[in-house]
Amino acid sequence: MSSEEILLWIRKQFENTTELTQKTLDYDNKYALLFYVKSLIDQELLQKLIIKPFFEMANENQFKAYLIALPQFQKAESKEQAVLEVTNGHTLIVIQHDLYLIDLQLATNNQVSTTSVETTIHGSNIALSENLMTNINLIRSYYHQASLSIEYFTKGEVNQQKIAIIYDKEHVNKKALEIIKQKLQQLDQQVISASTELNNYLNDKRFSLFPQMLMTERPDRIVYNIAGGKIALILDGNAQSLIAPAVFFDFMTTMEDNYHTLFISLFVRILRYAGLFVSILLPGLYVGITSFAPEVFRTELALTVAGSRIGVPFSSFVEVLFMLFFMELLLEASIRLPKVVSATATTVGGLILGTAVTEAALASNIMVIIVSAVAISTFVIPVNELAFTIRIVRLILLLITSVFGLAGLTLGLYGLIMYLVYLDSFGEPYLRLFNYQKAKKSSEGQA
Amino acid sequence: MLKKRNKIKQFFLLIILILSVLSGCGEFKDIDKDVFVSMIGIDLSDDPEKPYKVTLKLYVPTSSFKQSPKPEYTYLTQNGKTLTEAIRILETHSDKEVDFGHSKLIVIGEELLNANKSKEIMDFLLRRPDIQMISWLAIGRPSAEEIVKLVPQSETAAYPALFNYFDHNGTDSPYIVTTYLFDFRRKMLESGIDPILPLIEINKEEEHFEVNKSIVLDHDKKPHELSSLDTLIFNMLTRNLDVTDLVIDEDNQHFIAKIDNINSTYKVKVDAQQQIKLNIDIELFGYISESKNTMSNQQLPQYSEMVEAETKEKFSDFFTKMLNAGYDPIGFGVAYKSNTLHNKRMSPSEWDEAYKNSKVNIKVMAGIKSTGSIQ
Repeated sequence: MSSEEILLWIRKQFENTTELTQKTLDYDNKYALLFYVKSLIDQELLQKLIIKPFFEMANENQFKAYLIALPQFQKAESKEQAVLEVTNGHTLIVIQHDLYLIDLQLATNNQVSTTSVETTIHGSNIALSENLMTNINLIRSYYHQASLSIEYFTKGEVNQQKIAIIYDKEHVNKKALEIIKQKLQQLDQQVISASTELNNYLNDKRFSLFPQMLMTERPDRIVYNIAGGKIALILDGNAQSLIAPAVFFDFMTTMEDNYHTLFISLFVRILRYAGLFVSILLPGLYVGITSFAPEVFRTELALTVAGSRIGVPFSSFVEVLFMLFFMELLLEASIRLPKVVSATATTVGGLILGTAVTEAALASNIMVIIVSAVAISTFVIPVNELAFTIRIVRLILLLITSVFGLAGLTLGLYGLIMYLVYLDSFGEPYLRLFNYQKAKKSSEGQA
Repeated sequence: MLKKRNKIKQFFLLIILILSVLSGCGEFKDIDKDVFVSMIGIDLSDDPEKPYKVTLKLYVPTSSFKQSPKPEYTYLTQNGKTLTEAIRILETHSDKEVDFGHSKLIVIGEELLNANKSKEIMDFLLRRPDIQMISWLAIGRPSAEEIVKLVPQSETAAYPALFNYFDHNGTDSPYIVTTYLFDFRRKMLESGIDPILPLIEINKEEEHFEVNKSIVLDHDKKPHELSSLDTLIFNMLTRNLDVTDLVIDEDNQHFIAKIDNINSTYKVKVDAQQQIKLNIDIELFGYISESKNTMSNQQLPQYSEMVEAETKEKFSDFFTKMLNAGYDPIGFGVAYKSNTLHNKRMSPSEWDEAYKNSKVNIKVMAGIKSTGSIQ
C-alpha cells in the first residue's frame, strides 16, 4: 500500500469528525504531513519538538533521524495502530512513505491525589492518580526490581480502555496470573469505565456476595501486595486499582498495621475484628436474646430491655429491621449527597430521628443504641468493599434468627464460615488462615 | 457453569433443610410479654389436701432505673397438691408468661424441711428446664413466704438485697454458706457427704435479713442446725476464707485475733481395725485487732499459743457435735472413697457406723505477727 493510499485511509477514518487536524509542512524541499487530535496533544511541545526543528533542519533525512532519536518516538507497525495511537494523543508524521508516531499526549489527569478512601495517620498519604502512566511511574518508583513486569491489554470494544497488569515476575502466583490473563482475553464488554467493574467481569459466579479482588488507592498497598506475589490491575483513567488474588483477611488489614508497633497493631486488629463480629451479629443477637432466650441477659439488662420495649408496637425483629432500614438509608444518603448537605442529613437522620423514634415509642432506647453501635462498627472495617458485603450478611443472619432463634444465629454464622471456605479467589482459598508475612518466605510464587 | 450453580443450589437446600429441623430455643415471644421471677419460695401450707404453698416474687420492669430507683415487685401465692399444680394455677394469675430463667434463689420454708418432702421438691426443681441449676438454695425462717416478701430498706431496683449475701460480690462474710442447686443435688445423692444450706432469718425490728447459721440435711435424719460459730468453722475448713475473727477469752487475757490467712487440710486414714482417723491441720496467720489489756510484742508467741488452744477447743466441739449426730458436711466419706479401691472399701452403712466412732486429731499452728499497734 502506498503512502497515498494510507493517507486516504486515515482521512477516511476521521471523515465525519472535525477533531483531526491535518497540517502540511513544506519548506526548502522538505515535506512532511502531520496528523493529530488537537484536544489531545500538547501544542507547545509540538511546536518545540517538531515544527521548529523542521524549519531548522538541512534536509529531510536529517529530520527523519531527528524524529527517530526523539524519546517520544514510537514505531508505527500498521495503519490501524497509527489511527488508534492518534486517538491516544500521538502525532502521526508522514514523510514520503514512512510513518512516524510521536507521543505528545497532554495529560490533565496526572496529578497524584491524596488518599480519600483509605486514610491513615501514619505512612504515606499519596493515592493513585487517574492517569495510568503516572500510576505506573508511582509504582515503579516504589518498587525497584528489574523483575517488575507490566503488561497492557486494551479492552472495551467501544471505549478501548487500556488495562495494565502489574506483577513481579519472580514472586508472582503463576496460576492466578494465568487465570487473570485468560479471563481478560475472554472479556467481552462494550464499555469499561472503572477498574472496580472488572471485579464483576472477571468473576465467573453470577451471585457473588464477597469481593474477589481487593480495591485500593494506595501505592504502598499495591507494592506490598506485588512483593507478596499478587497481581495488580489498573485501568487508565481510574484512581483505583484491583489486587488479586485476595483472601478474606486482606480486607481486614490496613497498611497502618505494618507501621505501628506490635502491641498497638495487635490492639487495633483485635478492635477491628470485634467490630466485624459486632456489626454482623448484634442485630441478630438482639432478636435472638430478647425474643427467644432472655435468660442470656443479666437480670438488670433483661428488665431494662423489657421496660424500654413497653409500648413499642412492633415485634423485636420488625423493630430491628425498621431501624436498620433507616440506618442504611442514612448511610446511602450521606454517600450520594454533596458534602455540604451530608452533614445536615446525618444530623437530621441520626440525632433527630433517633430521639424522635424513642420518644414516639416506635423503637426502644436499647434498639437505638444497638443500631448506632452496628453503624459505627461497620465503619471500622477498613476496606469498603467488605463493609458493603457485611451490611447484607447481617440482614441474612437477622432473618434466620427471627425464625429460628439463637440456634439459628449460630448455625447461620456456621453457614457463613462454610460459604467463605467454599469460595476461592483466582485459585486461592478465600479463608486462608495462615499468616501472609510468615508464608511469604517459604512459599514464594504461591502468593 | 451449570454444574457449579447446581452445587450452590444444593448448598442452600442443605442449609434450609438443617435449619428447618431446628426448633430454636422455645418459640418467638417478645421480652415485654414475659414476666421474670426473681425468687421462688416453697412452704408447707395449712391445708393437708394441698400441702405446698408456692410464693413467687416477680420483677416489675421499668424503662429506666434512673427514674425509678425503688425496687418494685409483685407477688403470687398459691397452694397446690403438687408444686407443678401450684405453678400452673399461678400462671393463670399473671397476664404474661412466667419466666423462671432469671430466678436466682429458691427459699424453702423451715416447716417444709421437717415435713420430709425433700424428694418431691428436688424432683420438681431439677426437672423443670427453665429453673437454673446455678440457683442458690436456702432455708427460710420462719417461712419462705416471709423471706420472699421482705424488701429491706437498702434494696436497689432489679437486684434483690438477698442475692448479695450469696454471690460473693456483696458481703463476703465468713458466716455465710452458699449452696447451689446442682451442688445440693450432688451432695444429696452422694453417700459420704451431707448437704448444708444457709438459714435466712428476719430481724423483725429493723426489717433486714440475717444470714449466719446453716442447716445440715440428710435423707432420713432430723435436720441439724449449725450455730454461727459452727458455720464459721465449717467455712474455715471448706472455703478459702480471706478473713475471720477469733475471740480469745482466757483468765487474764481478752483479745480478738484478726486472721487474714487460713490454710486448712484434712486427711482421712483408716487402719486395719476399721478405725477412722481424721487428721485436721490448720494454719492461722494474722494480727491482734482488739484487746482489753496492753499487748506486748515480746509476748507474741504466747498469744499464738492461746489462739491455738482456743481454736483447737472450738474445732473439737464442732467435730464432737458432728460425729454424735452422724453428719458429715465436709465430705470425709467422699475423701475416703476417693483414696480407697472399690473392693477394699467399707459399705456406706459400715462407714456411717465407723464415722461416729472416728478419732479426730486437730493440729493448729497459729502465727500472730503483730499486736496491731505501733509502739
